[in-house]
Amino acid sequence: MEKNTATNTNIQKVEKRTGRKRRNGERRNGGRKSGLMERQSGNGWFFIAPWLIGFVYFFAVPLVKSLYYTFTKITITNDGLEFQWVGSENYLTAFTVDPDFVRAIFSSIGSIIYQVPIIVFFSLFIALILKQDFHGKTLMRSIFFLPVIISSGVVITILKENVFATGAGQTSSLFQTGVITELLVKSGMGMPLVKMITTTVGQIFDLTWRSGVQILLLLSALHNIPDSMYEAARMEGATEWETFWKITFVLISPTLIMTIIYSIIDYFTDYSNKVMRMIVTYVNQGRYEYSTTISIIYFAVVLLLILFADKVLSKRAYSAVN
Amino acid sequence: MTQGFKFKNKKAGDRALDIITKILRTLFLLGMAYVLLYPVLFLLSNAFRSPVDRLDPTVIWIPKTLTFNNFVLADQLIGFKDSILKTCTILIPSVIVQVFVCLMVAYGFARFKFKGRDVLFSLLLFTIIVPTSTIIIPLYVQFHFFDFFGIGQLLRIFNQGRPVSVNILNTNWPFYLMSATGTGIRSGLYIYMARQFFRSMPKELEEAAWVDGCGSFGTFIRIMLPNVGSIVIVILLFSVVWHWNDYYLSVMFFVDNYPLSVGVTVLQDRLQLLAESMSAADIALGESSILEAACFVVILPMLVMYVFAQKYFTGSITRSGIVG
Repeated sequence: MEKNTATNTNIQKVEKRTGRKRRNGERRNGGRKSGLMERQSGNGWFFIAPWLIGFVYFFAVPLVKSLYYTFTKITITNDGLEFQWVGSENYLTAFTVDPDFVRAIFSSIGSIIYQVPIIVFFSLFIALILKQDFHGKTLMRSIFFLPVIISSGVVITILKENVFATGAGQTSSLFQTGVITELLVKSGMGMPLVKMITTTVGQIFDLTWRSGVQILLLLSALHNIPDSMYEAARMEGATEWETFWKITFVLISPTLIMTIIYSIIDYFTDYSNKVMRMIVTYVNQGRYEYSTTISIIYFAVVLLLILFADKVLSKRAYSAVN
Repeated sequence: MTQGFKFKNKKAGDRALDIITKILRTLFLLGMAYVLLYPVLFLLSNAFRSPVDRLDPTVIWIPKTLTFNNFVLADQLIGFKDSILKTCTILIPSVIVQVFVCLMVAYGFARFKFKGRDVLFSLLLFTIIVPTSTIIIPLYVQFHFFDFFGIGQLLRIFNQGRPVSVNILNTNWPFYLMSATGTGIRSGLYIYMARQFFRSMPKELEEAAWVDGCGSFGTFIRIMLPNVGSIVIVILLFSVVWHWNDYYLSVMFFVDNYPLSVGVTVLQDRLQLLAESMSAADIALGESSILEAACFVVILPMLVMYVFAQKYFTGSITRSGIVG
């Protein structure tokens, strides 16, 4: 134990001295593979074993059971639930009979394409501001953490009923966009552009409440960038703009991807989402099998989207490994 | 941190730009603070309000008479002490186990190459996006007839052909078990976050430990864990908040003796019942004040926790041994 710690500190020192250079080299070579670790593939299984058990027992098995339900018609009898095999009827209903489902899925995907970039960009902007040194930054950071606490609990539903119902908190009425619209139109802007601006302004409320987690993730990533990097950049005479794109942006890119993925997931599983609302409504109506059917189709679509995003983005992200 | 950017000899123009940026930043932050604080201030203001003040139009934010009556009434209706205690007995072990297991699994995914890793990782992503509501009914049945991960099925020969099972609903065990197996509340997300982080760490340290004959688990415990830095704080923070706020699982798994988050909704129902039976106007008015007082009790501990955890955020960079 002691011997190990001693070696570590030595290595850390060497690492500190040569860290930057070596990393640059690694990036150019596309990463050096370490044979020693890869030979120990059995250890990988050891590390993920707890999750594997949980995945099978608390996720896969229940999911397969749920999947089975989608091919049945469930009736509640005195002895409990009764399943009657109906084949692909539920799926056919979803795609051919239900007038809302396919449209709802497409509208969800459509809105995600412009919502997610806005959320991520906004979070990055806020995180960069909050990282700066100013008076009351602890207070400001705590304020921006509020959405994380509130919007994940029951409190938000109560707030929605009590606070927002009483007026001033409503998304649209928080900002009086009427005056801005008039001003912009008079200054000679086209109507579509004005509309775009006003809807963005109107969304600020929604945006701030959606981006709490993302801000926190990015803030912690920004704090993980060592000061020495910035010092080195300053010595080399880099401008702040260059420093941002060549150091900050590169080093937080893995977190940025995570933020994008999180935003997609958060948006898709949010209960204000059209498809999610359908899922909940059908459960409440007692059509459990149909609700499960649409949720399974829906999440297959989302998974494809996320895998695609992860694949495309991961290649471009900075990584010390490969 | 930002001092790093500042040059000693600044031109006057730069200084002016600096001041303008500062003013703009302050204005922007104040605006944002208003948007975020509005509902909370509203909650706070109403929680301390007496029914008389609620009707008084001259009272806008600050009530004329501060009253703790709403908190007392809410406490009488749901019992804060018991429900907070219940939340804590679920939260503390569950969070500790969850964070450790998630880091461990994430390390396995980040650093080892084994057959089917990428497929398993996609499955992990899948667990993040499938909301619990899809699998809640089979899961409920699973916990009602808990057979110790299939061992109970094997023991059926000793039990007249019936599988050995225990009902662990209405106990804290479903939470502990799910956390310990990396499937607890949002575990998938934490694993994903930690894996992303481990991947960005340089390999040299671990290689050195390997050469020195440290096993892979030892490397993880002694080298990686002390160096993970702020990601642990973030995961810990999220884990605590989401356990504290969890409603869906708690309401499914508990029959009585509810945690705080469920308690608030119980309070809502009881208040409605009260209002119906008494049908007096003042009760209906006081009702939402009581509810808002309870909401305030739910939010406050998390907020205080964040203010303290915040410090470690900035501290974690200097403590972590690795640069990068």
